[in-house]
Amino acid sequence: MKAKYIPFFSLFLLVIITSCSETSNEQLFDSSLLEKRSAEEVEKVVEDFILAEDSTTIEIGEGFFDLKTQLILDSKENITIQGAGMEKTVLSFRNLKTGGEGMKIVGKNITVKDLTIEDAPGDGIKAQHTDGLTLRRVHATWTHGDKSKNGTYALYPVQCKNVVIDECIAAHSRDAGIYVGQSENIIVKNSLAYGNVAGIEIENCDNAEVFGNTARNNSGGILVFNLPGLPKSDGRGTKIYNNKIIDNNHKNFATPIGEGPNGNTVTMIPPGSGVVLLAAKEVEVFDNEILRNKTVGVAIASYQITGFPTDAPNWSPYTHDIFLHGNSYDRSGGFPDLSRELGQLVSIYNAHGKAKTQDIVYDGIFDKSRGNSIAQNPMNICISEQGLENLYFTQFDLSEGEENIKSSADVSPFSNCQVNVTTDVSFISSK
Amino acid sequence: MTRFSKKNIASYLSLCFLLVFFFSCQKEYQVEQSIVFDPQKDHEEADGMYPYDWLSTYGFFEGDLKSLNPSQELIEYEPASSLFTDYALKSRFVWMPEDSKAAIINDKLTLPLGSVLIKNFYYPEDYSKPEGKRRIIETRLMIHQEKGWEAFPYIWNDSQTDAKLKVVGGETTVSFVNEKGEDQVINYLIPNKNQCKTCHNENEKLDPLGVEVKHLNHEKDFDGRKINQLAYWTEIGKLEGFEGVENHPSMVDYSNESLPLADRAKAYLDINCAHCHREEGPASTSGLFLSYEQTDPLKLGINKTPVAAGNGAGSHQFDIVPGKADESILVHRMNSTAVGVAMPEIGRTSIHQEGVELIRAWINEMK
Repeated sequence: MKAKYIPFFSLFLLVIITSCSETSNEQLFDSSLLEKRSAEEVEKVVEDFILAEDSTTIEIGEGFFDLKTQLILDSKENITIQGAGMEKTVLSFRNLKTGGEGMKIVGKNITVKDLTIEDAPGDGIKAQHTDGLTLRRVHATWTHGDKSKNGTYALYPVQCKNVVIDECIAAHSRDAGIYVGQSENIIVKNSLAYGNVAGIEIENCDNAEVFGNTARNNSGGILVFNLPGLPKSDGRGTKIYNNKIIDNNHKNFATPIGEGPNGNTVTMIPPGSGVVLLAAKEVEVFDNEILRNKTVGVAIASYQITGFPTDAPNWSPYTHDIFLHGNSYDRSGGFPDLSRELGQLVSIYNAHGKAKTQDIVYDGIFDKSRGNSIAQNPMNICISEQGLENLYFTQFDLSEGEENIKSSADVSPFSNCQVNVTTDVSFISSK
Repeated sequence: MTRFSKKNIASYLSLCFLLVFFFSCQKEYQVEQSIVFDPQKDHEEADGMYPYDWLSTYGFFEGDLKSLNPSQELIEYEPASSLFTDYALKSRFVWMPEDSKAAIINDKLTLPLGSVLIKNFYYPEDYSKPEGKRRIIETRLMIHQEKGWEAFPYIWNDSQTDAKLKVVGGETTVSFVNEKGEDQVINYLIPNKNQCKTCHNENEKLDPLGVEVKHLNHEKDFDGRKINQLAYWTEIGKLEGFEGVENHPSMVDYSNESLPLADRAKAYLDINCAHCHREEGPASTSGLFLSYEQTDPLKLGINKTPVAAGNGAGSHQFDIVPGKADESILVHRMNSTAVGVAMPEIGRTSIHQEGVELIRAWINEMK
């Protein structure tokens, strides 16, 4: 969307003033109170990662470890990296001078548990090409007062298989706190994501379940995306259930203050977004508490909305086969965002009145090869929430361009159907 | 005493405090800069159990080790274009066991088991006299073993008598005078052993970079005689399967200004980026593929949005915007030294000005 909506700015000046997004630097604990480990003790940890042998445990004791180089576990099998507790073992990468991430993992059946990763310049933990990855009670955060220095992802499995993220905490990422990309067979459960731009993001993944988590005070709570031009093209099959997706009204700090979005899609996320589905396929969102997200509870959007090129092999920009049910909503989060174009779209053009928070929005962009009219629900978007009549639903019509944006509150084309989303993570759920 | 003078004293005192503060910082800084790394070899047997603790134990070089005078069994090699490593100069050698040779099959060069690649990184004191006094920083060995290639970083001691294996890597300050006569100081980072694979990575297996047919299929000087390197290897009985320069791929030298800009730019991107940015490399996650052979505009980054670039994207939308180098993420990341922004992720702490200019010119020329 390239619309600028400038004429509306003056109308909504008051709204802008009263709805400024919050920013947070909340920390779980103060790591500076921990005993600082000596250079030799830190070097020992680096060496343990390099010299690790299969089927062993790397133990990292209590204390604050000031690392100057990356911790890389390379092509090992059956390794456990064991800290003394999230509030006891802190690996700080504040003084890292080179390398993309603090901890990098490649291998098979790798578990990391009971530790904290702080202030990595890029990502906290990145795991790639790993079959069998468990992160349990791992906490990754940034402690800079200035959040523009923060890294990209706190916990970042990519191109992995059989991933379990359990009881983890991810905070203050400039992109997503818990980000699982181009992977298959995924559980993200009982974890907490706060103060990030995106709380939890599942991107170009197959067969994922996200449940029992709390995503609070991010700009966007839980995201399911498919982005173009990647080796793992379209992902499908995600269930999001029993999560608390609340107060996700944090300022979007993915780009510096005063700068608009760049090419990273997350920079477009309007503060106040609960769940965002973008070019997503086969997603079931149910039994979540989606509360006080000031812009929108659930946004269903196609990739065209970004304004970026949509031509890529083996990939479709459309979102389809979406099923929402059993979720609870609360629109009392404040006035919708106006800092991002998608926020402006919701705030100004929704079907219930200007500056009204929406529970569910759908961009109404559909694939003409699947039907002639949105009334036929060609993309199979199914919304069967209890008390639907009391929810604020908006379906946009962007077919006539930015000059003539239309919207409808009629949910009936989408309310009498179901989608059978299949996921199976039983074989990793015992981990 | 008036209130005014009291205030004066207070500011005087705080100034003193500040001076002390700065002074102590400065002192600490200097101490950090002058860390001594000067271990000396006591005794080590060349027992064939690699890796050795000391570089000299391998016996690759004759006479004074720091002269890096290769033994008869080493072959010096040079890729057409070379990877930028903070302006360090490099000398590269390959050693293959007796009675074994390398082979080219389907344009892929394979070295025999037991082969060792030896790469020395050094800085002349004065770049206008590259043969003059120099400081060798590190020597990296890659050894081809039963289970695959393995990399071992050796750090040279301050007295330049030997280099010691140090798997955790290190850090040192290097000073030199560049070709323009300017004083330069670089904070040189020696990667830890596992960081080697950040670049040397093909499908998660450690893999040599410069030792590929396309990088070696060009002429080099051997004792005053100019000859194609692979032809030379064949001549001395160390290579089979080479069918002449025309029958194999070859890459240009990006620094050769007489060649077409696009070829030079793509050669630069290949040797500096494509080890990660290819389907078999760790940056396959990005969908940005920068090898010399790549022709798909989207994969080359033309009007391609980033995926997980984070801070790296700056205020830009696309990896390459044709005609607009300064709006392209590629140039933005090459032109930065900030961790998390700078590309490549490891191997440089300074900006390669000439490289940035080359890529900038190439993008600006694009339509």
